[in-house]
Amino acid sequence: MTDQSSGQKKMKLHGLLGEFKDIESILKASAAIRDKGFKKWDTYTPFPVHGIEKAMGIKKSLVPKIVFTCGLIGGIGGLGLQWWTNAVNYPWIVSGKPLFSVPANIPIVFETTVLLAAFGAVFGMIFLNKLPQLYSPLFTSKNFSQGATNDKFFVYIEAQDPKFSPDRTRELLESLNAVTVEEIEEEEHAWSPSLSPKMAWSIGSIVFCLILIPPLYIARAQAKDRTTTRVQLIPDMDQQPRVNAQAASTIFVDGRGMRNYVDGTVPRGGAQTNTGYYTGAENEEWVSNPLPVNRALLERGQNRFDIYCAACHGIDGSGNGPIAIRAKRLREPNWVPPLAMTDSTVLERPDGHLFNTITNGIRNMPAYGDQIHVEDRWAIVAYIRALQKSQHATLQDVPADKREQLREEGQK
Amino acid sequence: MAKRLENDTIDLGSTGASFLKMGAIVGAIGLAIALFGSFTTEMKLERFFLSYLVNFAFFLSLSIGALFFILTQHIGRAGWSVVVRRVSEGFAANVGLMLVLFIGVFLGMGQLYSWTNPEAFANDPILQGKQPYLNTQFFLIRILVYFGVWILLTQYFLRGSAKQDSTKDPKKTERMQMVSAPGIPLTAITVTFASFDLLMSRDPHWFSTIFGVYYFAGSFLGYFSLMAVFFCFLQSKGMLKETVTPDHYHDIGKYMFGFTVFWAYIAFSQFMLIWYGNIPEETVWYIRRFEGGWLNASYFLLIGHFIIPFFILLFREIKRIPAALAAVGVWILAMHWFDLYWIVMPESIKGHVGISWIDIACFIGMGGLYLAGFAFFMGRKSLIPEGDPRLEESLEFKNA
Ligand code: HEC
Repeated sequence: MTDQSSGQKKMKLHGLLGEFKDIESILKASAAIRDKGFKKWDTYTPFPVHGIEKAMGIKKSLVPKIVFTCGLIGGIGGLGLQWWTNAVNYPWIVSGKPLFSVPANIPIVFETTVLLAAFGAVFGMIFLNKLPQLYSPLFTSKNFSQGATNDKFFVYIEAQDPKFSPDRTRELLESLNAVTVEEIEEEEHAWSPSLSPKMAWSIGSIVFCLILIPPLYIARAQAKDRTTTRVQLIPDMDQQPRVNAQAASTIFVDGRGMRNYVDGTVPRGGAQTNTGYYTGAENEEWVSNPLPVNRALLERGQNRFDIYCAACHGIDGSGNGPIAIRAKRLREPNWVPPLAMTDSTVLERPDGHLFNTITNGIRNMPAYGDQIHVEDRWAIVAYIRALQKSQHATLQDVPADKREQLREEGQK
Repeated sequence: MAKRLENDTIDLGSTGASFLKMGAIVGAIGLAIALFGSFTTEMKLERFFLSYLVNFAFFLSLSIGALFFILTQHIGRAGWSVVVRRVSEGFAANVGLMLVLFIGVFLGMGQLYSWTNPEAFANDPILQGKQPYLNTQFFLIRILVYFGVWILLTQYFLRGSAKQDSTKDPKKTERMQMVSAPGIPLTAITVTFASFDLLMSRDPHWFSTIFGVYYFAGSFLGYFSLMAVFFCFLQSKGMLKETVTPDHYHDIGKYMFGFTVFWAYIAFSQFMLIWYGNIPEETVWYIRRFEGGWLNASYFLLIGHFIIPFFILLFREIKRIPAALAAVGVWILAMHWFDLYWIVMPESIKGHVGISWIDIACFIGMGGLYLAGFAFFMGRKSLIPEGDPRLEESLEFKNA
């Protein structure tokens, strides 16, 4: 074999390949090689052989530990990510839930745990198996490349093993009933590409070119000016056949897309006879809060305020909501800062005016009437009053029997 | 293979007889103590029936878990599990006993289910809407249908496989595999509705469509834990010593691990949707379980039913040491029992957990009867399906 293939190339011995005829003999041989103290050797079987790890003296795989570590990092990372984004960097109240609410975070913690654990399993396994390995000198053996995945069992001992000696190792394999023992050689410069099979290189280049297509397509789309969505994977989602608000339509005789109520009908909740309650004004006069103010109403108001208003006006109503802070930081040219609830303008507004502000918006503030029930709007008004009291209360606001107590505490 | 079987004890022998005798005695005494003991409490008989329902749901779940185990092993044509299947067939057949024990639930219906009281419907449009379903007659008909399905299936598998012991007919295995296919949806549907009827209707207003899966998850997990405990026990009595190996325990342990996670997954799915939606009609059920002492009980469930077994069962060696796995099994069974207690009780005992010696007496009593029932259904049958064509594969099974 050395004589045939050498030519100009310089070859050197890479290892000895012993072929065995069945499971029993390869298990026995493995145990013997293990006991001799060889380190750089491996077995190749067409199917998983029970007990081969033990016979080869392979230690417990590291993969489980990698998976566990990765899973732990994924879980803690997922939780940390949500804590940082939701509770610290951009505090945003959703549905009145606490800023850092663990139940909401669990699904994502679960996903990140599984994701990183799976990465750990796949890449850890690939790494520990020394993959990807496009080429191995073993493939130069015809017997090996045809038999190892078919019906033959092989033991391969590398020449680099300190215990290796061409003659004695061959004797050892033969004494272990190897059917054949073959020398495997490689070129001196194992990493020169000419060694690798040409197929692998051409397939690799084609795949690489194909992978380049999507990013190139996106890059091209980014570079051009256009009025439609740049990349449309599912065009139907971008251009839906629907009638937009205020748009014309050919379906109806009057040419309008939006429809009026049928004559003589009233929408649910539309019979608003009590104008003061529904609009905040009666006979051109702002009304005061028609709902009895009690603890339950204030708590409801706080809950709704935190959900709908705090994003701009801040949880304490100081005008420092996350949106306001961000707009200030970005120096948005058209940004009008939201007023503080304790601003003198707001202090003087009657209840009905506040109600109207929520319902219809005011100047640069959008309307929230469609999103917040009438009762909740009044609850918010009551809560705004409480917020104002928290900054502008006088002694007269304190119940008479509590004033003395307050004075005493103040003197301490 | 044959040699290993010959060297092994593969029938219950005298243990079966003592199960029958001792089980029946312990059962009668335990239930009697619970029954008469309940009169010393404030709730009187109601306390007994509540405890009875918890334990009924617990032991029923073990048999249902066993039935699911048989069905899944057949439909997957599993080889490894053949040596542990006969015992499962015995435990599954115990649903027959559970039908008899249902009499206790029947007698306690007045105390257990508020909807049995006609007055409950009077001013309640929601309950009135549910009346066609929630009434005593239809309830009893449904229970009979569920048990009918379960008894037919479990008897079919127990008898079929016992017959195969002597005939050694591989065709029988094929037929059992065929039956397992429709058997799975049938069992799934009946178990779902049984859990609605027996447990969920304790609060007739409340509903959760995932509740059946929740009960199933606990049942399946509970049965694997029982398996680990029971085979360890049998081996300590000198049975199946050669036949059931650490490799079989290892697989049982993997199932325990998997369904510990599954239980948590389902329990959390039920909780999170309700928590997120925050609709009063759905949250009431959890609010009751977060009030007073129940809050700690809920946390305990999260930690004891999921976190502790999860981390313990991660370790490969623990799954391969029978005694260690059995210890985890005892723990999980206890948590599964507590899970059912947590499901049944808060509707009646508010603000504090209140486990009492009545629950323990009731558990021991019904447990005794349950073992006696197992021995009764096993009779003289072999502890392993000797005629199964995959027996050898199972004996030789190795966990890579
Ligand atoms: C999108 C951000 C945003 C949200 C959300 C928002 N506001 Fe405003 N609000 C503003 C801005 C901006 C102004 C100042 C408008 C201006 O001066 O043009 C303002 C002004 C106000 C004023 C003072 C109006 C006056 O009388 O001059 C009140 C009161 C008020 N908001 C209440 C509320 C309440 C209550 C909510 C919750 C329902 C709410 N806002 C939600 C942006 C917001």
